[in-house]
Amino acid sequence: MPLDTSTTYPLTRLRLDGRRWNELRLLQAQISTNPASSGSSYLAMGNTSIMCTVHGPAEGRRGEAGGGAGNAAGAVVEVDVNIAGFASVDRKRRGGGSDKQSSRIATTLKAAFQSHLHTYLYPHSTISIHVSVLSADGSLLAAAINACTLALVDAGIPMPGLLCGCTAGMSGSASTARDPKNDELDPLLDLSLPEEQELPSLTVGTTTAIPVGEDAMDDDEDETMKVSLLNMDAKVHYTYLETMLAVGIDGCTQIREILEGVIKGSNKIVVPRSDIL
Amino acid sequence: MKSLRRDFSSNPQAANVSSKVFVRSTKSGKVQKIVRELYLRQDIPCSSKLCSICPATAPADANGNIAPFVLSDRPAGTASFPRGHYLVPDTNALLNGMDLFEQTGAFYDVIILQTVLEELKNQSLPLYNRLVALIKTDEKRFYLFFNEFRLETHVRRNPEESINDRNDRAVRTVARWYDEHLRAATRHTKREKMVPSIVVITDDKENIRKAKEENVTALSLQNYVAGLEDSDRLLDMINESREAKETKGARGELFYPEYYSMSKMMTGVRAGTLHQGIFNVSPYNYLEGSVNVPAFGKPLLILGRDNSNRAIAGDVVVIEVLPKDQWKSPSTKIVDEEAVTKNDNPDAEDNEEVVTERERKALQEEVKKAHGKNSEGRPQPTAKVVGIIKRNWRQYVGHVDSGSTGTQVNSGRRQQNVFVLPMDKRVPKIRVRTRQGAELVGQRILVTIDAWDRDSRYPTGHFVRSLGELETKGAETEALLLEYDVQYKPFPKAVLDCLPSEGHGWKVPASKDDIGWKGRRDLRDLLICSIDPPGCQDIDDALHARPLPNGNFEVGVHIADVSHFVKPNNPMDLEASVRGTTVYLVDKRIDMLPMLLGTDLCSLKPHVERYAFSVIWEVTPNAEIVSADFTKSVIFSREAFSYEQAQKRIDDPSQKDELTQSMRTLLHLSKVLRQKRMDAGALNLASPEVRIETDNDEVGDPLTDVKTKAMLATNSLVEEFMLLANITVASKIYSAFPQTAMLRRHATPPPQNFEELTNQLAKKRNLELDVSSSKALADSLDHCVDEANPFFNTLVRILATRCMTSAEYFCAGAHAESEFRHYGLASPIYTHFTSPIRRYADLLVHRQLASAIGYEGEDGRAVIEGVSTRNKLEDICRNINYRHRNAQFAGRASIEYYVGQALKARSEKMSVGGVDSGIEEQGYVMRVFENGVVVFVPRFGIEGVVRLEDFLLPGESVGGSVEERKTLAVRRETDFDSEEYTLRVWEKGQADPNRSVTVELFQKVQVNVSSVKEEGGRGAGKRKVRILIMGSEK
Repeated sequence: MPLDTSTTYPLTRLRLDGRRWNELRLLQAQISTNPASSGSSYLAMGNTSIMCTVHGPAEGRRGEAGGGAGNAAGAVVEVDVNIAGFASVDRKRRGGGSDKQSSRIATTLKAAFQSHLHTYLYPHSTISIHVSVLSADGSLLAAAINACTLALVDAGIPMPGLLCGCTAGMSGSASTARDPKNDELDPLLDLSLPEEQELPSLTVGTTTAIPVGEDAMDDDEDETMKVSLLNMDAKVHYTYLETMLAVGIDGCTQIREILEGVIKGSNKIVVPRSDIL
Repeated sequence: MKSLRRDFSSNPQAANVSSKVFVRSTKSGKVQKIVRELYLRQDIPCSSKLCSICPATAPADANGNIAPFVLSDRPAGTASFPRGHYLVPDTNALLNGMDLFEQTGAFYDVIILQTVLEELKNQSLPLYNRLVALIKTDEKRFYLFFNEFRLETHVRRNPEESINDRNDRAVRTVARWYDEHLRAATRHTKREKMVPSIVVITDDKENIRKAKEENVTALSLQNYVAGLEDSDRLLDMINESREAKETKGARGELFYPEYYSMSKMMTGVRAGTLHQGIFNVSPYNYLEGSVNVPAFGKPLLILGRDNSNRAIAGDVVVIEVLPKDQWKSPSTKIVDEEAVTKNDNPDAEDNEEVVTERERKALQEEVKKAHGKNSEGRPQPTAKVVGIIKRNWRQYVGHVDSGSTGTQVNSGRRQQNVFVLPMDKRVPKIRVRTRQGAELVGQRILVTIDAWDRDSRYPTGHFVRSLGELETKGAETEALLLEYDVQYKPFPKAVLDCLPSEGHGWKVPASKDDIGWKGRRDLRDLLICSIDPPGCQDIDDALHARPLPNGNFEVGVHIADVSHFVKPNNPMDLEASVRGTTVYLVDKRIDMLPMLLGTDLCSLKPHVERYAFSVIWEVTPNAEIVSADFTKSVIFSREAFSYEQAQKRIDDPSQKDELTQSMRTLLHLSKVLRQKRMDAGALNLASPEVRIETDNDEVGDPLTDVKTKAMLATNSLVEEFMLLANITVASKIYSAFPQTAMLRRHATPPPQNFEELTNQLAKKRNLELDVSSSKALADSLDHCVDEANPFFNTLVRILATRCMTSAEYFCAGAHAESEFRHYGLASPIYTHFTSPIRRYADLLVHRQLASAIGYEGEDGRAVIEGVSTRNKLEDICRNINYRHRNAQFAGRASIEYYVGQALKARSEKMSVGGVDSGIEEQGYVMRVFENGVVVFVPRFGIEGVVRLEDFLLPGESVGGSVEERKTLAVRRETDFDSEEYTLRVWEKGQADPNRSVTVELFQKVQVNVSSVKEEGGRGAGKRKVRILIMGSEK
């Protein structure tokens, strides 16, 4: 039986993969990995690795839900998530349709990007995102968000800023109120699979708000953050929520810097942000 | 297309990412390959107070705190390590010597490696938990070093290298790194000369050799301990099994069959050809075990040591049913290990047989009996143990068998094998190697079992510690507590910190605006009183009753509001949930909650305001319940009565005040309630209980302290209303939490449990026991009376109680609603609500009820806590069921011990010329065996085995020492009739009916009870209660 975080973390302040509480896993990403698509990316957060391709904006096919010629207001985002049978420890045979986990991720991603992208620029069209999970080792939703963002940037679809996702958890079950005098639990950033299975966690996705008015002229790096996605399946006493959120948002900021580095480092010409506005 | 290969070159951090790949197999037999990332770093501190480098880089937790450094700058040393040392044990050292590491005299400044901790967890979860507890305590200075994550000490497994070799290498690498690191950290400072040695402790010879090559100091546990003071005592605490195996090598024949492989067992169990269950041993015959398996209604018998194949009572075993020609009937004989294997030599293994000739003979006789005239004793299916799923070994309390210490008692440091006889009769004697054989004789000691190999007849174990002289009060009490796993250590500071800071000065807030009053009803004007046993300090409950204008009554039960003081999941709550219950011994109470709460702040003492949780009913004069209401409240108890005082006050016609009137109302209502309950089929069960009053001083006969419990009407007054409160609360919390309500059930016993008793009653008394329902049973128990023998009815009730299953806590989702029934109380639903000071279940029920009625508590947390998860509750249920049972056993054992001591004290006072004449009492025969009977003596609440030699034949006198009587046994002849349950005993060759004694089941016999100490021989120094049968009355 491997060690568990809730026992050893208080003793050593180290997590089971050797990280401190506020450290991300190694994040590596590439864009334009698949020239056959409009945009594509590959992203690995630790041992979680994801490939994402974007097709479109393309003319919506008739008869598709919400798509087709009907939607004059803007493009419809379609998300398809496929978790490979070899992605987790036990190889799973997946018959045809998607399972519960992947359809939940797909729904969340669709909702997040539908409202995030400037879809009004593309009426009567469809943007379809395909996410392939090659290897799952925790923080799946967060990694998928980041991969999608990169692929969408690669496809040149306008958005107000990068949408970045990250998970945050607590180093114990956190089922009762926090005792400020004797605070034993630390928040943890970017959970791996064993941590996710053991501890409560949430996924938060942030983006930079669109600078308006005076702020628009500011070239201030200290941007205001906007939470555009928040997802939690675990039970946590509400007194811990603020800590977890703060750590998660901080993680998102770190991830944004890395993703920006990836975009700037690629040979693809990216339109500087200030020019969009 | 770009390559998707992970590109480490571009990322400077990536160089420090390694990965760990391992393979594990799951329970279902699947093999999984696990890949984990490892982030190597250089900021993991060495945690030595000597170090000047690490404090600068030591990282902080989320609150900016840096963990204090653990390892002392002046560690203790030994003669060979004058500058002191830090110890680095490997896994085997911990496996073999965990008891040593827990010592207070030695083993400080220990570095526990991650590698070792992980390996230990894989090998033994209990040891892992003990080690984690050690790391958490400050005074032992154990530091958990995550070596696998430190760049310098991370070790990659080489190809062809076994995992053990790799782990050993990791340990050596750490030792070397520590040494270099500390030298570097102290270079050119004053502390340069203070660098302690790093000592690897390992039992692996190869490891020691390699360490020498690499210039790392390594010692075996033995060698290290030998250099310490007090090494004799410490050396005894090393686990024996490994060492023994090495020295013994391939020598010796194998006495026991090999166990099946795990996969073979699992396949068999799944296919239904093998069965899994818990191994139980008969208290009367150590060679007879039984296993209850789900496939059959009745337990399967396991006879003899061959078949029980090294299983010890409590182990989870896999068994195989034996062919039909080996089926036998359960034994009709009392077989005591001490008696049968008296002359075994703990050192001799060569001529050892698993089944000694005498044992074999004892078994054969039984088979003969079983196959002879069995009309009722039909052979029953027997089985043999083929494997062990889980050992349930714990630490056992026992004493050294003085006969086994050998002749050279004074041989000093020489190691010798001795036998330790556990207090628990169901556990075989344990072979222990010790250097202090002579000192240990006559002491209560604690030992653990290390192993039981195929080539050893008895399990081998090692000495843990001595509790003190046999028969001293302290040692025996501690032995009892250890044996029944009662947590008796004083409450740790973390728990005491949870108490209100005001201490005894805490008061109910005067102002009703205070937050403590939130959601509470003011019931201070009600005339509330409590009725408890005399001298009761932890008053859980109080009552009141008053007439209502409509002719009905308002009745209230007020329970101490413990949940106000014990908040969920704080250290005090966790401690209480582990303890589960308060344990009452004769002269000691081991509290579940600290004294301050139990006997003061929560206790509903008279004349002070207290927080309470109240259940208030409106009842008609016929005790029909009109409505029930639950509320948190503040009460002011007017008086605390003892049962006698209350009874006197009620009976005294001159008392006409309101309080007395309300008590009379309560008494009246309770009688109606009781009648209703009886009509519904509640059982009036009996248990052999005596009470001991210890306040008497040395004067007079010590036995006067032993009193049988008297039942007053006021006892049942309190009892009825508590039952009513429990039932009312049970339905309330069940309706609020259908999945997680904490309830208590008493399963309907299967009719076959009563088979034997029914048979016995029919045969001996021509009485019928109808067990079809609790009502039928209650009625037929009422008919079991014997005009000449008023105790007969109680005796039958005691026996009937033993046929039933015990009541248990459970959480509502675990059973179907039809299974909730409490059989004994004939109530469809039941829980425990009324004693939160002494039972954890009640405390949980309080929280659930508070949540069910929407009480928010001072900070709104109560609501959330009521809805605990079911898994957690089920764990708690398991624990409190276990604790509850053990608390009962411990209480009974304590009384038994006290009775024995009282008898001893009496015999010392009364004996004439050194011969104790004993005390004459009446006893009743409970069971008849072929070579003895079990007699119950109600006066002392004890039951005991009466062997053949303890039957006084006509014309014999009481006198004679134990040894003299023992010689009689071989001259006795018996005639045992298993169908009529009679046993006739006579002297060899004198079968004259006038010179023989005949006893039969249920018979009243005149007995002589005394306390004797065995002298000489094996059981020396052991005191037990001896019962002699003097003659019988019809």
